[in-house]
Formats: sequence, C-alpha cells, structure tokens
Amino acid sequence: MNSNPDLLTSLAGSIRSVLSPLIGNPDGVDMAMYGVGLLAVITLIFTNAVILVWGERKVAGFMQSRYGPNRLGPWGLFQSIADVLKLMSKEDYRPKLVDKWVWALAPIIMFAPAVAAYAVLPFGKDLVPVDLNIGIFYFIAVSSITTIPLLMAGWGSNNKYSLIGGMRAVAQMVSYEIPLVFSMLGAIMLVGSLKMSSIVEAQSHIWFVFLQPVAFLVYVIAATAETNRAPFDLVEGESEIVAGPLTEYSGMRWAMFFLGEYANLLAVSAIASAVFLGGWQPLPLPGALGDMMHAIPGWIWFALKTYIMIFVFMWFRWTFPRFRVDQLMGFGWKVLLPLSLANILVTGVGIFLYRVAIGG
Amino acid sequence: MNDMVFATAFYILAGITILSAVGVVFLKNIVHSAFLLALAFFGVAGIYVLLNAEFLAAVQLLVYGGAIAVLIAFGVMLIQRRDMSSSNPDAAWSPLGLGMAVMAMVVFIAAIVLTQFPVTNVAPEFSVEGLARLLLTDYVVAFEAAAVLLLAAMVGAIILAKGAKEA
Amino acid sequence: MQTQTYELNMGPQHPSTHGVLRIILELDGEVVVKATPVIGYLHRGIEKICEGKTYGQTIPFTDRMDYMHSMNNNLGLCQAVEKLMGLEVPERAEYIRVIMAELSRIASHMIYAGALVNDLGGVTGFVFLIRDRERILELFNKACGARMTFNYIRIGGVQQDVPEGWVEECRRFVDDFPEMMHTYNGLIMGNEIFQARMKDIAILPPDRAVAMAASGGVLRASGVNYDVRKDDPYGIYDRFDFDVPLGTKGDNWDRFIVRMQEMEQSIRIIDQALKQMPEGPVMAKVPKVIKPPVGEVYHHVENSKGDLGYYVVSDGGMKPYRWHARRPAMVNLQLLDELCRGYKIADVVAILGTLDPVLGEVDC
Repeated sequence: MNSNPDLLTSLAGSIRSVLSPLIGNPDGVDMAMYGVGLLAVITLIFTNAVILVWGERKVAGFMQSRYGPNRLGPWGLFQSIADVLKLMSKEDYRPKLVDKWVWALAPIIMFAPAVAAYAVLPFGKDLVPVDLNIGIFYFIAVSSITTIPLLMAGWGSNNKYSLIGGMRAVAQMVSYEIPLVFSMLGAIMLVGSLKMSSIVEAQSHIWFVFLQPVAFLVYVIAATAETNRAPFDLVEGESEIVAGPLTEYSGMRWAMFFLGEYANLLAVSAIASAVFLGGWQPLPLPGALGDMMHAIPGWIWFALKTYIMIFVFMWFRWTFPRFRVDQLMGFGWKVLLPLSLANILVTGVGIFLYRVAIGG
Repeated sequence: MNDMVFATAFYILAGITILSAVGVVFLKNIVHSAFLLALAFFGVAGIYVLLNAEFLAAVQLLVYGGAIAVLIAFGVMLIQRRDMSSSNPDAAWSPLGLGMAVMAMVVFIAAIVLTQFPVTNVAPEFSVEGLARLLLTDYVVAFEAAAVLLLAAMVGAIILAKGAKEA
Repeated sequence: MQTQTYELNMGPQHPSTHGVLRIILELDGEVVVKATPVIGYLHRGIEKICEGKTYGQTIPFTDRMDYMHSMNNNLGLCQAVEKLMGLEVPERAEYIRVIMAELSRIASHMIYAGALVNDLGGVTGFVFLIRDRERILELFNKACGARMTFNYIRIGGVQQDVPEGWVEECRRFVDDFPEMMHTYNGLIMGNEIFQARMKDIAILPPDRAVAMAASGGVLRASGVNYDVRKDDPYGIYDRFDFDVPLGTKGDNWDRFIVRMQEMEQSIRIIDQALKQMPEGPVMAKVPKVIKPPVGEVYHHVENSKGDLGYYVVSDGGMKPYRWHARRPAMVNLQLLDELCRGYKIADVVAILGTLDPVLGEVDC
C-alpha cells in the first residue's frame, strides 16, 4: 500500500500548519479545520451539481442519439453556469395562498441533510471529514430526514399535485429506506464495524460487491428510489402530477431542491462505492499492474467509482419508464425487503460457517 | 472540545428544543406543530451528540424523521377542516392536558430523584456490538415483546386501511 | 374508517393531456372514482367555417383537425367530393395517395407510441420515435414543401408529382423500417416496467367498444375486426395484401401493440404500392371552379385514430351547404371515464395515451 501522503492530505497538512501559529489554541485549530472541511464539502457539492447537470444532459444526449449541450464553451461545459445564472436572475415568485413559512423553509431544509451526509463520506485514506464510530448509520439517519422537506413543500404549496407528490414521497422513502439499510447490513456484518474507514479497509483484498452481489443490486435499486430518480421518480412524476412538491417553486428556490437532489445522488453513489466497490482501494490486480494501480491516489479511485455509479443511475433514468405507485410499494415490500432479509440470513450463516471452518 | 464551545452548543440546542416544544403546544396550525415537533427531536439528537451518544442521536433522527412524516400524513388526513390555520384547538382540552402533563412530570421527577446514577468523568466506551449483545441476551424478552407489539400495530393498520376501501 | 374523495383538475395546462384537454378527476387517494373530460378549448368552428369556403379551400382545414395524420384527412375529404362529382382519379395519383396516407399513418402512430412512452416516464423512447418520424416528415417536405399541414391531396389527384429520387428515398425508409422496429422492441416493448404498466389495465370488452362506437386501434384491440380499408375499401386499397392486427383482451397493452403492428402492415402496403406505381399524370381534368351536382355524400376512411367520415351536402353552388366530419378521436375519448374508474392517476395518462386523442380533431 502506498504510504506517501497524497495531494489532498498534504494540502490539509499545510493548511493546518498555516493556521496553527495564527490561532495558537490547538482546539481552535481543530475547529478551524472543521470549518475548512465544511467549506471544501460545500464547494464540492456546488461544483458537483454544476458538473452533474451538464453530465446528465450529455448522458441524456448520448442515450438519445443527439449531442446535448454543445454551444457554450468546449463541449457545452459552461451550459450549467448559464443555467445557474438564469435561475438566479429569475423573479422570486411566491404564490399568494402558500403556507408561507413551511413553503419557504422547505428548499433550505432539503439542502441541509445533503450537506450533513457528506461528513462521513470516505473520500480517501485519511480523507474522511469526520470518521464517526457509527459512520454509515449516521449517513442513513441523516439521509432519512430528506422526507420532511419534500412533505413540507408538498403541504406548504397548497396545491393538490404537490400534496399528492408529498404523500408519495413519504410512502416511497419510508418504504425503500428499509431495504436500503438492510442491503448495507450484509457488508457491515462482514466488517463488524459501522466506521466508514474500517468498511473500506476491509475491502483491500476483495470488494464486497463480489461477496454481496444481491445486496449490491438491492442497494442500487433502493438508492434510486431514495434519490427519487427514474424509474422511481413518482414524487416528481412530471407526466402525472406536473412536478409534485416542486410545482410551485421557481428560480433559486427550485434550484435548491435540484442541488439537494444532485448532492443526494453523489452521496448515495459515494456510499455505494465505499461499501461495495472498495472505496479508495485501487483495482486489486496482481503483480506490476497492481503496483501501477496503487500509484494512483485513493481519492481518484474513489471519484472514479462514484462517477461510474452516477453514470449507472443516469443510465437508469434515461432508459426506464416510471413505476406506478402501487407497483412501487409492492416491489419494495414484497421483493426487495424479503430479498435483503434473506441476504442477511445467508450472510450470517456464511460468516458462522466460515468461522467454524477456520476456527475448527 | 473546549468547555466554552460545549456550553455554547448546549445552550443553542437546548434553546431550539424548548422553543420548538413551546411552539408545538401553542401554534394553532397542527401541521406547523408537527414540523416543530420534528425540530424539537432534532435538538434532542444534538444534545445526545454532545453527550457522546452518537448512536442514540442517529436513532433519534432515523426513527423520528420517518415517524414525524407519518404523523403529519395522518394529521393531514384525519383532520377535516377547511381552514388548516386553526386546526390545533387548545382551549377545550387544555385542563385535561395540563393534568396529564403534571402527572407525567411527577413520575419523571420521582424516577430521576430515586435513581442512583453512576457518576464518572470518563465517557464509557460505546460499541454497537455491546448494545447488540445486551439486546439479545439481558433484554431479549423486552426486545421481542416490542417486536410483537409493532407487528400487531402493523396488522391493525393494514386491516384499518383495507376496511376503508371496502366501506 | 370514513374517507372522502377530492377533485383534481388535470389540465387544460398539463404535461400529458396531449394539448388542451381538461379532465376533472374525482379521486379517492390515488384511485380514480370518476374522470370527466372537458373538451372544447381548441374549438374553432371548422365545420361552420367550411360552409363559407369553396370546396378546394376546405382542404387546409382538414389538415388542422388531426394534425398528426393530415394526409388521410385530405384524402377523405377529396374522395368525398370526388364521389359527389363522379370524378375519376389517375392511377399514379391513387398510388401516391396511398403511399402518403400510409406514411402519414406510420408518423402518427410513432407520435402516439412516443407520447405514450413519454407519459409513462420513458423519455428516451419518445426521442427515438421522433427521430425516425423525422425521415417521414422529410419525405413529405420533399413532396409538397410542408412538414405538417400539407394540403397535398387535392380534389382530382395530388398537388404535384413526387420529385426525382423521392421513390428511392421512400424505398430506403421502407427497407430500414424493420431495424427501427427492432429498436422499439428492445427499448419500449421489451421493458418489464412498461409491460407492467400496460398489461391488464383498463380492459375494454368488445361489446362495450361497439356500444360506444369506438373505432380504429381502440376497437381492434378489443378483438373486433373492423378496418375501413378492408370492410369498405376506398381508393385502391382492395389491391393490396395486408392484415388487420387484432388484440385479444382490450387492455392498454393491446391498444398499444395493435398500433405497433399496424405500422408494420402500413410498411407492407407502401412496399407493394412502390412496386406497382405506374407513370402518368397525377391530376384529373378538374374544372377551375368546382361545383358538385346537388346531393349529399358520406365517405369514410381509416384514419390512424379510427373511422374518419365526411358528410358533405352540395346545393349546386361553389360552397358546401353542409360540411361535417365524424371525428374518431372525439368518439374514442368518450371512453375515458369508463376506462379510468378504479385505476390510479398514473394510469389516467396511460389510458388517455392509448385512446390517442388529438385535440385538434376532438375539438375541431
């Protein structure tokens, strides 16, 4: 394993060495470093949203045999910047009969759990913003809050389409959270820890996608539903309920929802790559090829895997039609839940047999 | 973490919790009350974090995040009022509510006063494994009883929902 | 537990009501209790306007009825007037008419399938269908200089002969078509979710379909074998060998798949027509001022939506005394309430999609 600190860890080190003499108090330096980390995460979210908006349109274009954005900048790269400018310059319109506070707070609250979830993402070796003991459980808990802003938007908009969307959001996210958690449970049982860094470390020899293929499938499906993306985009289901909870929002308020959605997309993809695809671990290849793989910094591996997962999610979105609400619930409760439970059982029995085999 | 930061964080979280709890009681709109209830729970979760009980905090978020959503859904569906702005009437039932609150308060205070807390300056080493071991050995009966209770509640809810369709 | 229904106004501004249709939905949660279509937002009074126009001038109005299948609308009216006048149309014009009408049917069905897939959330299927429809529109553009409202089929023949190289290009489209169908089969029909959304939804029994005077794909999906091209052949349709695809159940899936198979049959007709097409004039000797003899005529053709009929009454003057169109989309739309009851909101858009209303024709 490459023990040299890579670019980002040494960058953090040098920021710390600049800050230490300025602040003096070591606790203060720690606090300041958390601030730096928060800033970095928020920058990441915004940059990523800009890239993903562009990427999604490019992927859509690719899937639909057209070009996608190609006017502004090389390969249309500046298109999403133009989009952001457009959204910011739009009139901040508030319908008269909305529930003022609930309606206005929903987009902001949508964004909060998305940022909070980034605290435990293992971006690389020694690059976990806060390596909590309960890392993955914290992620699950924080991302479960996303239901509330959608319900707030659905209720506060005083619009029947919004309300239907909000109710769908509750039903969908509460149901799919269970298979999502259970699918990760298999991997957690193999590691014996909820800590993000331990989960990734445990995959240095074999990625969990090979040990937990069923769990990986369940996770990908449930994560698509959790992020409200097609084919599970019933919450926004454009052709049925216009835009669901987002119907009455425009301009930056609407953009906040979008930002939250893309932040969530990145987060679930990052978790998928950390829990199932080995996180920052390079491709486990034998011999010289493996050494070459190790020379690439971990955070590049992590980003690569995450973006591959994002591409898969986009692929789903531009290929599948939408589920109907009863099919969605039936699929979640009658297929995914038993499947993930069976996976836990098989994993448990497997671990027991393995222990018997090696322990005698 | 130094004491000042700790104290500031505690007072902010406590303030959020208490203010939103007061709001839950006094706001006229039941939906607002429910959302503030969620905020109160989040404040409590924050205090758990300050007490180094991250697991409990996460459970608090996970359980109440979903629970509040369902509570609001029920609040919306079960309350038939044209104007939601006065859907949380507090006049008629307040004496009874006050009585209940006082009784609950008495029970809690008695429980707190009568219990011997082991006092230590070192936070106990927490592990999910330890918790799991406790749940599946010492407290297995309570654990299973809760599971059966939830199952019964779920079956009841399904029967209620099915019945509504037939009627 | 006591529950209440509520009312939801779907449209006239809604992403999937195919134009300006308004549906008043009475809902029990997500389940439809009653669906009332409210039509007329696009009403232009075409029938009345046409009474004030000469016979030739009414043709462009038919373009604007079912604007997805304009060629056939032209054809129906022209044949009605020709029947009234007892006019013989040159052979070549007859063949061009058939080719245009069938190409137009394919284009219309592509929009139908694309819009339906789009309403179910599969945007990519829509784009692929639109891409291939573009080739048909290019063919039309080359023949008559318009991509949508053609006014190409005239009383007595067609406006002009097809340009040089057109037949070869049309032939290439016919040859490429199986590959397009293969794409749709993989992307749309082969998709599990799409099938789950369509199968066993909104079953229309054959007796109800006949009782509600449904026609076209809606009727044939219920298993009733009725196609004007076969049962009351007009033009030269009796010369071609083609099948009428029939459904077995009358559910959404049948209503979808019948139209997809119809596209293949249309390609068969075009293939035969291209092979048989003779050289010659494309316009009969028609007087400059068309004054049909006193009398009335009813002529119907198979539109992509169903049985499109024209009723024209002449008082011997330059302008029709009465001009009426039996619009299949409007008749089929009346089934909406019956089919939607008991299904979900998401099914409403699918059912509406399979009924395939074009609001220009519904409102006329």
